[in-house]
Amino acid sequence: MSGSQTRSPEAELGLLDATMIGMGAMIGAGIFVLTGLAAEIAGPAAILVFALNGIVTAFTGLSYAELAASIPKSGGGYAFVREIFDDLSSFIMGWMLWFAYMIAGGLYALGFAPNFLELLHVYGLVPPPDEVGAVVVPVVDAGVPLAFLLAFVAVLGLVALNAVSTAASGSAETVFTIVKVSILVVFVGFGLASPMFSGAEFQPLFPEGAGATAILPAMGLTFIAFEGYDLITTVTEEVENPRENIPKAIFASLIATVIVYLAVVTVAVGTLGADGLADAGEAGIAAAATSFMPTGLPIIQNGGALIVFGAVFSTLTALNAVVIASSRVAFSMGREGQLVPSFGQIHHRYGTPFVAILSSAVVMLGSVALPTQSAGNMASLFFLLSFIIVNVAVIRLRRERPNMNRPYEMPFYPAPPLIGVALNLILAGVLVEYLIRTDPLALVLSVAWILLGGVAYLALNRVRAQPDRDLTDADTEITPEVED
Amino acid sequence: MTSTLDIIIAGGGRVGFQTAEILADLGHDVTIIEQDERVVTDIADEWMATVIQGDSTNPDIIEQAGIDQADTIAALTGETGLNLAVCLAASELHPGVRTVARIDRAAGEAYTRFVDAVVFPERAGARVAANEVVGSDVQTLADVTGTLDIMLVRVAEGAPAAGKQLTDVRFPAGALIVSDEDGHRIARSDTTLTPGGRYVVAVEPNVADEVMNLMRG
Repeated sequence: MSGSQTRSPEAELGLLDATMIGMGAMIGAGIFVLTGLAAEIAGPAAILVFALNGIVTAFTGLSYAELAASIPKSGGGYAFVREIFDDLSSFIMGWMLWFAYMIAGGLYALGFAPNFLELLHVYGLVPPPDEVGAVVVPVVDAGVPLAFLLAFVAVLGLVALNAVSTAASGSAETVFTIVKVSILVVFVGFGLASPMFSGAEFQPLFPEGAGATAILPAMGLTFIAFEGYDLITTVTEEVENPRENIPKAIFASLIATVIVYLAVVTVAVGTLGADGLADAGEAGIAAAATSFMPTGLPIIQNGGALIVFGAVFSTLTALNAVVIASSRVAFSMGREGQLVPSFGQIHHRYGTPFVAILSSAVVMLGSVALPTQSAGNMASLFFLLSFIIVNVAVIRLRRERPNMNRPYEMPFYPAPPLIGVALNLILAGVLVEYLIRTDPLALVLSVAWILLGGVAYLALNRVRAQPDRDLTDADTEITPEVED
Repeated sequence: MTSTLDIIIAGGGRVGFQTAEILADLGHDVTIIEQDERVVTDIADEWMATVIQGDSTNPDIIEQAGIDQADTIAALTGETGLNLAVCLAASELHPGVRTVARIDRAAGEAYTRFVDAVVFPERAGARVAANEVVGSDVQTLADVTGTLDIMLVRVAEGAPAAGKQLTDVRFPAGALIVSDEDGHRIARSDTTLTPGGRYVVAVEPNVADEVMNLMRG
């Protein structure tokens, strides 16, 4: 990353830490929040949905691995694209990725709220959450403002935290991730052992009237569940022996996450059934857990509470990760002169990219007013689009810079990036088509963001074309090296 | 406009490698052109720059290093003539680029007619070596912009500030103790000015004598 952190001579993060950063960002919202929504669209085939998404994203994972190994920058996707594309293309990439992370933040906050309410409900502090969740327009209006308020407060809190203090270290991230995965392992273990699962019903696999085609929009919606391994490439400078460990961490986190997801979704569908999951919406996994986890335990009383706590904890940590990720993209763009310079400046007192965080917060706070499904669809759409550009970047670099040193070269080139582009395009196309039919609001907002980006790009170029305009450059602190 | 520079370094050997490391530490984007397979691997291990493997006088390789977007190209191989050729080729490909060539003899200064700046690492190293040989108690470090002096000062036995913590010493405005003893840490308020220890000090010329008095007696 261009100068956002000091490059520490001793790398601190090992392969495990790097893997956990990826898993920690992936396991969170996607699985807890979107399983119910995916079951609603695709029925028991939700299991297939997650498996196929894992395969689709693996191709882009290869591209990320090759780029991260050969371009030593901690900027993630935007930094790689900036390396090879002209101003406009890299601006678009940054602009889309920034939005994707922000909307993902809104999505995670929206997932946090109903799970938090569920947690309170398990302990009898609040009445049961609205039976219909976010699936149908709620009959009871009272539940909605409360959930919205919770999501809002969650974003606000984490933004404030990150605005005034530098991010927690990677080792804390490792602990968080282990906690999350352990809770899910408990969930899967008890689920498989429960009598409900023995009578599991995965038939009919596809919902009536939709058939196998229902898989595609569900894949589009849940694609965001595999966003997160790309965050490994935002901390490359802190990882020891990055050219070996970054590709390994990307693959390891992807594979581990797919395994965890499949186990969790299988258990959730097997116990609660696709219809039950669909009814529970964003709190699907939590609802499944409360249905089969043992009760009457000391302290936590209800075993389900543990899983609900896992959901709350996961959504919050994932939200924290995207708050950091979104501000980093904006910060990098500011450093590169693709946003107003103040975005690329570190706050003199807090040492954080203050402006970048606050501006990211604006969109995040706005997005918690969206329906969960719209947020999921929009975030997925923008990740799909930006991942397409990442794959194209690999192809362009191979063609235009054949002599570039590539410590990691993907196998079977050029098939993986081409397949990646094709599959992501198909999913993006299906998603857009699906949005036109069911969620015009999300589509309008997405198009509006792109248009806003166009305006911002033109405005910034105009400003830059007038050097007499008083624009202060971000000054890098330069201290002369002293050799003894 | 941007706060980070896009820099190409031709030659990833001893000089190029160190230069790239310093620049990368300052947050600039560095791309290194290097022919030697072994050196390429070493650079990749250090994780500081994108590496293009090839001959830096080959226009195709210079283009692959991204000359069209570069702010500066520094040719730092051991061959003066080669460095000059790289800079001239780069200027041809991207007329606005700043060029820096490493030279290996004082006569090379004349090359500034063709390139924006020359560096003579051996002489720079010699200056440091000479400083060390003399082992003087007060050395002026690199050329700094403006009139500020950055110096390395050895605290003398019995000087007014010797043995005191920085909180207890009132240095004049316009002076700053930068490092702790022997320059591993930045000075803190509890840094002690140990007699015999050497400290990096920044001073404005008009208070330099006062600082010398405090530290040297």
